[in-house]
Amino acid sequence: MSMFAFMGTLEIGFIYGLVAIGVYLTFRVLDFPDLTVDGSFTLGAAVAAAMIVTGFNPFLATGCAMLAGGAAGMVTAWLNLRFNILHLLASILTMTALYTINLRIMGKPNVALIMEPTILSPFETLGIPSMYLKVIVVGICALLFAGLTAFFLQTQYGLAMRATGANPRMAQANGIVTKEKIYIGLALSNGLVAIAGALFAQTNGFADSTMGIGTIVVGLAAVIVGETLFGSRNMWVIIISCLLGSILYRLAVSMALNADFLGFTASDLNFITAALVAVALILPQLRREWKARKAAREAQS
Amino acid sequence: MIRCENLKVTFNAGLPTEKRALQGIDLEIPEKEFVTVIGSNGAGKSTLLNALAGDIRATGGRILFDEQDVTRLPATGRTRDVARVFQDPLAGTCGNMTIEENMALAWGRTSRGKLAFALNGKLRNVFREQLARLNLGLEDRLDADMGLLSGGQRQSVSLLMSALQPSRILLLDEHTAALDPKTAALIMDISRQIIEEKQLTVLMVTHSMRQALDYGSRTLMLHEGKVVFDLQGEERANYEVKDLLGLFAKARGDGEELDDDKLLLGS
Repeated sequence: MSMFAFMGTLEIGFIYGLVAIGVYLTFRVLDFPDLTVDGSFTLGAAVAAAMIVTGFNPFLATGCAMLAGGAAGMVTAWLNLRFNILHLLASILTMTALYTINLRIMGKPNVALIMEPTILSPFETLGIPSMYLKVIVVGICALLFAGLTAFFLQTQYGLAMRATGANPRMAQANGIVTKEKIYIGLALSNGLVAIAGALFAQTNGFADSTMGIGTIVVGLAAVIVGETLFGSRNMWVIIISCLLGSILYRLAVSMALNADFLGFTASDLNFITAALVAVALILPQLRREWKARKAAREAQS
Repeated sequence: MIRCENLKVTFNAGLPTEKRALQGIDLEIPEKEFVTVIGSNGAGKSTLLNALAGDIRATGGRILFDEQDVTRLPATGRTRDVARVFQDPLAGTCGNMTIEENMALAWGRTSRGKLAFALNGKLRNVFREQLARLNLGLEDRLDADMGLLSGGQRQSVSLLMSALQPSRILLLDEHTAALDPKTAALIMDISRQIIEEKQLTVLMVTHSMRQALDYGSRTLMLHEGKVVFDLQGEERANYEVKDLLGLFAKARGDGEELDDDKLLLGS
């Protein structure tokens, strides 16, 4: 793999690492399978791109993208909590509606950001080659939000959110308003995913109405790969392993695509994704079975 | 002081499955009284506790803590006054969080505090000190997963958690029923210590007649959503388990001999 390809992989790995952290918040912390992310990733990209093209500051645009993503998460939470719509279905409804909203925001299916200012622009004067600069900026963003999330989950509020997902009755008996935690959790999760979308649009130079398809699978893949490789109880390790899981997943994908003897082409991406996630899920299971068999054999002898 | 005025709870009102779980409870429990609650299955014992805790909304009547009307207050709004321990040892704690994290959650019951680390050295010392009184060696395992503990250990920690923050009312819903006799005795012992130390007003639901008479100073018997017997003072002091069983049979009114074993067994 060339240096250029490797840097590209790191960059996309960090961006989807933010998605993974968002997915971790909903799927693991809140036990709320939230598919809104497919829509909120594009939403983040669309809001950032539309604002930048209109002439707004890229940082302001990225901030607004985060708020828009948070609002999308709130809508899903509202459908679920206020009207008792199944969480999965509520998130699919929001995701579907977002497809139209994203087209409206952009005014067309695709907005190009070539030659437009982005959050990278202020750093371009530093003289760092573009391929490194992107990785550095995106990496710092990802690490910053990872740190904030890991810290947040260890505060009283964060603990309350984890209890809401793990044991709602106990949470309530301890004075935790569980609905509020779900609203905030979904807003944070989709806010992070929208930032990822905004970063993606700015580093890749476009926002596209279909760019969010499959975001949830990639995010889950990263979470699962991270959990499988770095299983830990420590919040810092867990959140960083979301980032690392995302990068390793990207590396595995690009290696699979680059290995000539496998004969994959770029259009085989979805199959590779599914296969990798399956392997990440199967391996721990096989390891358990193998250990159990070994223990049984030792007990016999 | 807890006061219930004509407290009613009806489930599935207006449906064929309608169940009138509490049918007008009038009750006054003075400060620092330890009340045991008995009754057959479906008598409304747990519903009464859940209504007091706010898990279940009253469909009629009022609940007052001191002179404050809390009838419309949800469970989360009552946690300053009420702490509780559930029957299921798994219900009172989060299995996928560590012991110290669980205790930190309970520590935050009265105020969720600022945006700072929920755990710190000072707090860990408090937790260690509390856990040490259980004599289970848990004080050295603060960062162990709650899910790794046995049911008895988890229930012990739940009990400590309920007393970490000052509260005035403790609700115990058959909190020793799922435990082996030895652990159950340990838990009851710690419960008694905590109740005396913190001067709590207590309602304890139990299936064990022995426990109902041995603990506390007053015994209520519920039947079909009503208080059918309210034993206290000297009358209660002279009561034996078999007298209680007699009351049970009378309440059921079918003269049928009770299946004593379950009621007599237990600590």
